[in-house]
Amino acid sequence: MADFEPVLTKGFGSLDLTDLAVYRKTGGFEALTKAMRDMTPEAVVNEVSASNLRGRGGAGFPTGKKWSFLPKDGRPRYLVCNSDEAEPGTFKDHMLLENAPFNLIEGLVLAAYAINAKRIFIYIRGEFLQGYRIFSKALADARAAGFVGHDILGSGYSVEIVAHRGAGAYICGEETAQLNSLEGKRGEPRLKPPFPANAGLYGMPTVVNNVETLMYVPHIITRGAQWFASIGPEKSPGPKVISVSGHVVKPGNYEIPLGITVRELIDGYAGGLRPGRTVKAVQPGGGSSAAIFAEDLDCGIDFESLAAKKTMLGSGAVVVMDDTACMVRSAVTLNRFYEHESCGQCTPCREGGQWVHRMVARLEAGEGSEQDLRILGTINRTITGTNLCALGDSIMPFLQSVMTRFPDEFKAHVTQAGCPLRLRKESAA
Amino acid sequence: MSAAPTNTRTVNVTIDGHTLSVPEGMLVVEAAKRLGTQIPVYCYHPKLDPAGLCRICLVEIEKMPKLQIACATRVSEGMVVHTSSAKVAEARKGVLEFLLLNHPLDCPICDKGGECDLQDFTMSYGPGESRLTEPKLHKPKMVDLGPTIVLDEERCILCRRCTRFDDEIAQERNLIVDDRGFGSLIATRHGGEYTSYFSGNTTEICPVGALTSKAYRFRSRPWDLGHTDSICTQCSVGCNFRIDTRFGRIMRTFTRENTAVDDGWLCDRGRYTFNYLYSPHRLRTPSVKRDGARVDVTFAEAVALTAPRLADAAKAGRVGVIGGGRLSDEEAYALQRFTRDVLGTNNIDYRAHLQKFATPSRFGAHLTDLDDASLILMFGALTPEQAPILDLRIRRAVARGHAKLMYVGPYRPELPVEARYVDYPPGEIADLMNQLADVVHHGKEETGEGFVAEIAQELASSEKIIAIHHGRDPRGAEALERLMETLHRFDHPVGILVVGATSNARGAEAAGCVPNLGPGYSPVSGAPGMTTNQMLAAAAAGKLDALLVIGANPALTFSDGDLVRRALAKVPFLAVADQVMTETASYADVVFASASFAEKRGHVTNLEGRRQPFAAAIDSPIEVRDDAQLVAALAVALERGDVVSADPDVLYAQLRAAEAVSQPSHATDASLPRPLADTPPAPADTHDGAFTVIPIPHLYAGGGGVAFDPGTAAMRPSPYATFHPDDAARIGVIEGGRVTLTGKGGSIEVDARVALNVPRGFVLVLADMPEAPENRLLDESGFGRATAVSAGVKVRAAG
Repeated sequence: MADFEPVLTKGFGSLDLTDLAVYRKTGGFEALTKAMRDMTPEAVVNEVSASNLRGRGGAGFPTGKKWSFLPKDGRPRYLVCNSDEAEPGTFKDHMLLENAPFNLIEGLVLAAYAINAKRIFIYIRGEFLQGYRIFSKALADARAAGFVGHDILGSGYSVEIVAHRGAGAYICGEETAQLNSLEGKRGEPRLKPPFPANAGLYGMPTVVNNVETLMYVPHIITRGAQWFASIGPEKSPGPKVISVSGHVVKPGNYEIPLGITVRELIDGYAGGLRPGRTVKAVQPGGGSSAAIFAEDLDCGIDFESLAAKKTMLGSGAVVVMDDTACMVRSAVTLNRFYEHESCGQCTPCREGGQWVHRMVARLEAGEGSEQDLRILGTINRTITGTNLCALGDSIMPFLQSVMTRFPDEFKAHVTQAGCPLRLRKESAA
Repeated sequence: MSAAPTNTRTVNVTIDGHTLSVPEGMLVVEAAKRLGTQIPVYCYHPKLDPAGLCRICLVEIEKMPKLQIACATRVSEGMVVHTSSAKVAEARKGVLEFLLLNHPLDCPICDKGGECDLQDFTMSYGPGESRLTEPKLHKPKMVDLGPTIVLDEERCILCRRCTRFDDEIAQERNLIVDDRGFGSLIATRHGGEYTSYFSGNTTEICPVGALTSKAYRFRSRPWDLGHTDSICTQCSVGCNFRIDTRFGRIMRTFTRENTAVDDGWLCDRGRYTFNYLYSPHRLRTPSVKRDGARVDVTFAEAVALTAPRLADAAKAGRVGVIGGGRLSDEEAYALQRFTRDVLGTNNIDYRAHLQKFATPSRFGAHLTDLDDASLILMFGALTPEQAPILDLRIRRAVARGHAKLMYVGPYRPELPVEARYVDYPPGEIADLMNQLADVVHHGKEETGEGFVAEIAQELASSEKIIAIHHGRDPRGAEALERLMETLHRFDHPVGILVVGATSNARGAEAAGCVPNLGPGYSPVSGAPGMTTNQMLAAAAAGKLDALLVIGANPALTFSDGDLVRRALAKVPFLAVADQVMTETASYADVVFASASFAEKRGHVTNLEGRRQPFAAAIDSPIEVRDDAQLVAALAVALERGDVVSADPDVLYAQLRAAEAVSQPSHATDASLPRPLADTPPAPADTHDGAFTVIPIPHLYAGGGGVAFDPGTAAMRPSPYATFHPDDAARIGVIEGGRVTLTGKGGSIEVDARVALNVPRGFVLVLADMPEAPENRLLDESGFGRATAVSAGVKVRAAG
C-alpha cells in the first residue's frame, strides 16, 4: 500500500492539530467554507452518498443513506455523534478525539448542515476526560472563529454543539441507549421501530454517527466522492483506522485502506508477532466478533470479506492471539465483560450472559464438566438473535468460534481439570 | 396506550395456518388472541406500551430471518406467523430456562402459586428437566416497598410491568429499576416508600410472586378461593371488582375489568378497605342507650323500640330521614318508599355532606368522554383524592392524549399531570362561569383582554370540553351548564361529570332520596319535604321528634358541624343504622348494625349514571340486616309490611317501573330537575382577621369503615392544616408543629403544614377526619372562618 496516504491520522505525532492555526494550515475548514459558500445541504448529502462512505462505528451502514432517511415534516432534527467508544479492543476514536478535534468539529457541522440540524450532541465516553477537555477547548476556539454557532461563515446557517460525558456503560454506545442516556433516562436500548431517523432524541428525527465516520466527511467534500470511492474495495471504500492489540510487536492505531489482508496488517503495520510465535486466533472486529484463524490471514479487512468468514469488520479492532494464548481464558475475559455490561432488559442477554460467564469461568478454573461443554455448544441458539439489541448477539460469537476451532482445548480443561497450556508451563518450570 | 393506531383498514394475516382479517397495525399477540391462540407473555400487558423485554413471545414470521417478538410486531398484509414451530419452541424453552436459572423455585410457599405465569408457562413450554448445577444467585427478599407491598427480588423476572404501570398509567414514576444486568432490582426512586394510591395493581399485573400485597400475603391459595362479582363502593366511580372469599371470609379483592368504568384498575382504598369487617369495631348487633350506657339488643328488639317512636313522630309530622347515598339503589328506593308511604313525609335527604346534587341537570358525560377530551375543566372536585380511577383517565388524557387540564379553585393542589391553575376565590365560581358564558357567547371580537377573556379563548380553541364538578354548589352548576350550553351551541362537544361525595349519591338521587323528587327524578306529590339542613335546624330548634339516619354520618360530614351536633344531641329520638360506631351513631338512642357491600346484593349507580349489579360474597353476622330489610321490618312493625319489600328483586322491579315514567337521560336537550337545596350563605366576611377554611379531601379520610380498617390504617393521614408561609410566620406556626383552629362549632388541634400553594389568608384543613372534624370550623357554605393559634411542636416518642 505504498501509494496510500493516511487521511485522518496524517500529521499525527508531528503536528499539533489541536491548534486551530495548525489545523487550518493543513487545509482545515476548507470543506466547511466550500459547503457554506457553494453547496446546498442536498449537495453535501449527495457527495457523501456518492463516496459510498459506510459507518465506522460497527454496523457499516451507508452514511449518505442514513442522512437521507429523515422524514421531511418540519420537526426539529438532531445530530448525535457517538463518541462512546467502548468495544473491547477498540481505541481509535479515543486517539482521534484527542489529536484531531477540529477535523471532528468540521465533520459535525457539515453533517448537521447536510441534515439541517440546529443542535449537535456529542456523547463522549466518560473515561475520555482528556479527550473531552481537548474537544471542549477546540469547540470554544472554533466557535470564536465562526465555524460553529450563529450564522456560520455568513451563510445564515447556525448550529450549536453540546458535549456530554457518558457515565461508563458500554451499552450507551448503542445508539438508542445513547439517546435515552442523553435524555437523562436509564441507558438502555429502545424497542425499534420507531428508528432514530423517525423518533430519536426527544422523539425527533435524529442521525447518530460515529466519530471516525464524521471525520471523513470534510475530506470527501474537499477531495470529492470519487477520490474516496477509489480507495479500497468498491463496496467498502475508504480508509479505516484499525486498532491493533494483542500479541504483536507494535500494537497501536493504524490507518489503512480497507481491503488489505489481515496478514498485511499484522506484518506490514503492527510489526509482526514476537519471534517464534504463530497466530492462533484473531478477532478482526472487536470483542463482539467471531475469531478467524491462522488459515484465514489472507482475508481482506473490509465489510464483505470478513462477513464471508462469518465474522465482521465491526469497529475495526484487531486483537491478535498467538499460540501462547488460552482460548478459554480469552473467552472468560470477554464473557465477564458482556455479563457486566448487559443492561438487564432482555432475558437471554441478562440471564444467559451471566450463565455463560459462570460456565466458562468454571472451565477456566478447572471445575467445568462435560455438561458445561454441551450447554455452551448449543446455548447460542437461544441467546443469539433473541434480544432487543445487538449486545446479546455479542455474547457468543467469539466463544462459539474458538470452541468450534479448538474443541480439544476446551475438553482438556475438563479432563485435565485446568488449562493445558498453564499446566505445561508449570511442569516445564 | 398500546392500542393499534386507529385505522379502519384491515389486513389478512395467517397464524398457524388459520387466516383472519384484523385491523392493520394490530399487534401479532392480539391477532393471535382473536384465534384463541395463546402466545406466552410476561412483559407484555394490553394496557401498557409494548416493551419487548422478556422475549418469551418470540414467534416465527415468514420472510423474516430472525424470530420476532409478537408483543411489539404489528401485522401487515399477507403476514404468515408460526407460533409453535420447533424454532419457536426452542426459543421459549431457552427463555424459560434463563428465567428459572436464579429463580428460587419456592412455589410451595409463594402466594402466586396457582396463578403464576412462570409456573404455568414452564409447565406448558418449559424444559422438562433442569440443567442447572450451580448455586442460585441471591437477591434481597421481603423488601418492604411501602405500606401495601412486599417485594421478593429473587422471584422477580424483571418484566417491568410494575415500573411501567407506575410510569405510564399512574404517571407517578416512583418505581424504578435499579442497578444493571443480572443484578437489576426493582426499587423506589430515592429509596423512599412506594405510597401510590394504585400500588395494589402492581401485585395483580406482576406475572410472578415478586410483588405481594401485605393484605393477602400468606392468607390463601388461589384454588381455595370463591369468586363473587361485585362493585367497589368506596367512591362514586363504581369500579368493577371481584371479591375472593375463603371459608366465608373476604381474602382479597381483584380487578374485574370494565373498560368503560375502571379500565381494569383499582385504587388501594377500594382494593384494601374490607378488613374493618373483621375488626372489633364492626357493629355485629343492634344496641340501645339505656341509663347512659349502650346495651346490645336483638334486631327484633331494636325494631320494636324504634317503630313506635317513628310512628308517633310521623303522626305529628315531626319526623325526618337522612341517608341513602351509601345504600344500594334498591335500599335507597325502599328507604324513600318507607319515608313517603309509611311515615307519610317527604322529609328525606341523602345529602349528609357538602354535596348538594349528584346528577348533572344537562350535558351528563360518561367517564369515557375524558379519553378524547381536549380540555378538562376541574373545579371544586379533586379527583386524585375523591375518584382515583377516574383520575387515571385524566392522567392518560393529559399525558398521552394531549388534553389540557384546567383547575379552577381557591388553591393549587398538586396534580400528577400538568395543569393550568386558575385561581378563583371560593363561592364565586358561578360568577366566573357566567362571565365566561357571556364572553364565549359574544365571540372573539368582544372578548377583549384580561383573565376571563384568556380562559374563554382557551375554551373556544378547544374541541371537546369536559367539566368535573363536586356538586356542592347548585348556583355554580347552573352557571356551568349555561357555559356548556353556549359552547355546545358553538359546536363543541361538552359534558359534565359530578363526583359524588358518597358511592351511591347518584343512585340515591335517582331513587328519590331527596325532599322534592321521587324515583326517576319525578316531582313529588304534595309539598317538598325538608332538606338535611332544614331537618337539622328543626331538630336543633326542638321541632323534630324523631330522626332516622341510615348509612350516613352527618356529624362528621355535614358542612355545618355546629348545627349537626346540636341537632343530634337535641332530637328526642335518634335511630342510626351503620356498619361501625360513627360519631353520629354515638348520639343514637337505637343503633342498627347494617350489612356491608359484601353481605348484600343489588345495584349501585356510579357518578355517570351507570347502574351496575353486585352480588353478595359473604354472609352477614346474625343480627346484622341490610338497610332494605331494616325499613321493611320497621314497616311490618307499623303494620304496613305490604308497602316496603325487603327483596332486592322486587325493589329493583318497582324502581325500574317508577323510573319508566322519567328516565335519567344523557341527551343534551333534556333537563333533569335538581334536588331542592337551600341557598347557602355567601362565605363569611373576610375582614375578621381569621382564616378562610377550605376543607380538602384525602383518599383515606372518612369516619366509616376506613377509619377502623387495619388494612388501610398505615395509609391514613394524621389530620393537618396547611398555611401559606407568610401566614405561618405571622401566627408562629412551623411545618411539623401543631396548631389549634377555632371556628363557629369549636376547636380542633391538628398538625401544621406550610406550603406555597395555599393563598394568603386561607387554611386548608384535611376533611372528614373523626379525630379532628373540620366541620367544626365550617358553615353551611362548605367553607368557614377560623382563628389559628400555634399549639407547639408535636413530640414523637424516640425510636
